[in-house]
Amino acid sequence: MVQGRLLHETTTLCRVCKNALPARVVATEAGEVWMQKACPTHGEQEVRLSTSADWYERTRALIPRAAPPPHSKKPVQHGCPFDCGPCPSHAQRVRMPVVTITSACDLDCPMCYVHNKNDGAYFMSQAEFRGVLDHLLESSGGDVDLINLTGGEPTLHPELPALVAMCKAAGIHRVSVCSHGLGLLRNDALLDRLAELGTRIALSFDTFDGATDKKLNGTKSVAQKLEVLRRFDRVGLDTTLIPVVTRGYNDHEIGRILALGLQLACVRHIEVHTMTYTGQGGVHFDRSGRISMIEVLERIAETTAGLLAPDDFVPSPCAHPLCYQIAYLLVDPAGGKPIPFTRFLDRDTLYACLGDHLYLEPGPRLERAMQDAIDRLWADGKDERTLRLLDALLRQLFPRKPLSPAEALRISERAVKAIYVHSHMDEETFDVERAYQCCDSNVYPDGVTVPVCNYNVLYREKEARFMLEPRAWGSRSGGRRSLPLLGGGRA
Amino acid sequence: MTRLDGKRCLVTGGSRGLGRAIGVAFARRGAQVAFTYSTDDADAEDAKRAVAEAGSEPLVFKGSVADAAHARATADAVAKAWGGIDVLVCNAAVTQILPISLLDEADWDLVMDVNVKGTYLFVRAALRHMIRQKRGAILTIGNFASERVIEAPVHYAASKSALRGLTEALAREVGRHGVRVNLLAPGLLERGLSQTLPQHRVDEFTDQSALHRLGGLDEIAELAAWLVSDDASFVSGSKLVADGGL
Repeated sequence: MVQGRLLHETTTLCRVCKNALPARVVATEAGEVWMQKACPTHGEQEVRLSTSADWYERTRALIPRAAPPPHSKKPVQHGCPFDCGPCPSHAQRVRMPVVTITSACDLDCPMCYVHNKNDGAYFMSQAEFRGVLDHLLESSGGDVDLINLTGGEPTLHPELPALVAMCKAAGIHRVSVCSHGLGLLRNDALLDRLAELGTRIALSFDTFDGATDKKLNGTKSVAQKLEVLRRFDRVGLDTTLIPVVTRGYNDHEIGRILALGLQLACVRHIEVHTMTYTGQGGVHFDRSGRISMIEVLERIAETTAGLLAPDDFVPSPCAHPLCYQIAYLLVDPAGGKPIPFTRFLDRDTLYACLGDHLYLEPGPRLERAMQDAIDRLWADGKDERTLRLLDALLRQLFPRKPLSPAEALRISERAVKAIYVHSHMDEETFDVERAYQCCDSNVYPDGVTVPVCNYNVLYREKEARFMLEPRAWGSRSGGRRSLPLLGGGRA
Repeated sequence: MTRLDGKRCLVTGGSRGLGRAIGVAFARRGAQVAFTYSTDDADAEDAKRAVAEAGSEPLVFKGSVADAAHARATADAVAKAWGGIDVLVCNAAVTQILPISLLDEADWDLVMDVNVKGTYLFVRAALRHMIRQKRGAILTIGNFASERVIEAPVHYAASKSALRGLTEALAREVGRHGVRVNLLAPGLLERGLSQTLPQHRVDEFTDQSALHRLGGLDEIAELAAWLVSDDASFVSGSKLVADGGL
């Protein structure tokens, strides 16, 4: 075990049996952060959480905004993370509901972090989906701004457009569908219908290199992915690019992927995921590729020629600060370099503006922040380009003839693009301190919600919908009953 | 119901929103209605149909209210067609959601040209006919932005304040000719400005107003009909704020 200064204690999982274990998180002399634990059956284990203890401590010191779910579904019985539903200890309500609408998938990616089942595949019915929406709307007081439909490969669901239409009818304006996109190359009718419904495709896009694609996804689909994006651009199908970053495989390409996303009009956001070692593929994947959040931010800085620095990112106040890092950029339609928001808004202000939703939404706080920024830029007179871009955006957003909310959202998301870096946990890096602050949850028709990392590591393998041989419930022990308190700090 | 039987009415900016509602309300009360619009032919066609269905086949004129020739030609054409003008409603207006730091000279000029100069031009064009007739009613459309300390684009608020001065001075000046001049200042309505504002700004308005809701176009059109009718024969130089109690 490496020696180091204790940063905090927590509860984690054994990488073999997944029983809960106490863990120490330490800063080493080399300035790294490691988690250390010992399983009575499987012995001592340690894993590196971050290459920068300074960044880790500074970031972890932030307290997420308290927003517990309105009601719990399960009592505390086995301790965190074994009582999800949520249990009364959970500290964040669901901001990113994830609905697994099918177990079917036509790829078999070596990096896949979920379990799929194609024999007797599961397809969520409209009645079940209605249950999901009803519970979501009820538990959020109607304030659901986004939802993510996933699988499997959701485009294989025969009723996908109907499910998207149900979301739209429920007033959800960001309906994203996770997809590898390849099916949409063969199905123009589905492509057009999804565009018409205002769907956004969360398109997995990990590399420009065929050999790397083969290693990560078991296929060589780069040319097809680029063709998919061209089609999305043509039909106006909004897109979130989702690259999963793995050290030594594709981390050197991240700047190029971001450049593609910033350049294409159809791409509204880019959401970078760190590789996680769960599911049918991920659990066997080369673990030397594990990459921490700060390393991703540093790779972004290195590969974008200074466009973005780690300090241009802030955590989400709706989640544990180690889970999300978010940068917003003002895009220059004339082709100039995009401008990170932190160049004209201070980090604390941007952090506060993200306090109510996972994505920036119009609201008094954002309006005041932008007004203050514009006034300051104008008074200082030192940054005409930023002022000009904000001026043009404002005039587009408030023309003489009123825009619909969807039109306004589209204009603003084309002028302002977001980069989210999302660090998932697996059984090795699992930390209940992060789990109980999670705002991304798998949501079920009966109203049960399970944070996505807990779901990927512990819960999906117990569901007959996704597993040929599901594990039994209640087979693990050692859950944490009293949850740690977080410290305080600035963004 | 207030009647406007036989009154010859000209409404500027009558193709949509409040102007359209006023045209329809006037027609329903027996008035002859003419209206102007600046750009959207489809909206104008739609408004023309609505006014006709309400009882008056309208005269419709396209042009900018800030164009003196258009103002003169419109007033003369209405007077020629119907033998005079009894009512003028200066409703045409524009606004922009801009902070002072982004509000440049062209923005200022545009809003002042349409909202203030446009009113002045149409008032002057119609007034010649009213003075000749020795009677008439002019209604200017202000806004609560100039009556309350609220967040509003400063050029828009300034333009609406200017209309208050114009209304009061004009009422004093032309009362001796039997012409009444009043200002109607609506709050935030279901259509128009409220549709361009972020929802939280609309919510802020409804939260703070006594009636906790937006105003209806028909509610304001009712007041307009009353102010230009003979029922309001002793009302001039006045300002009626209808903002739900802000």
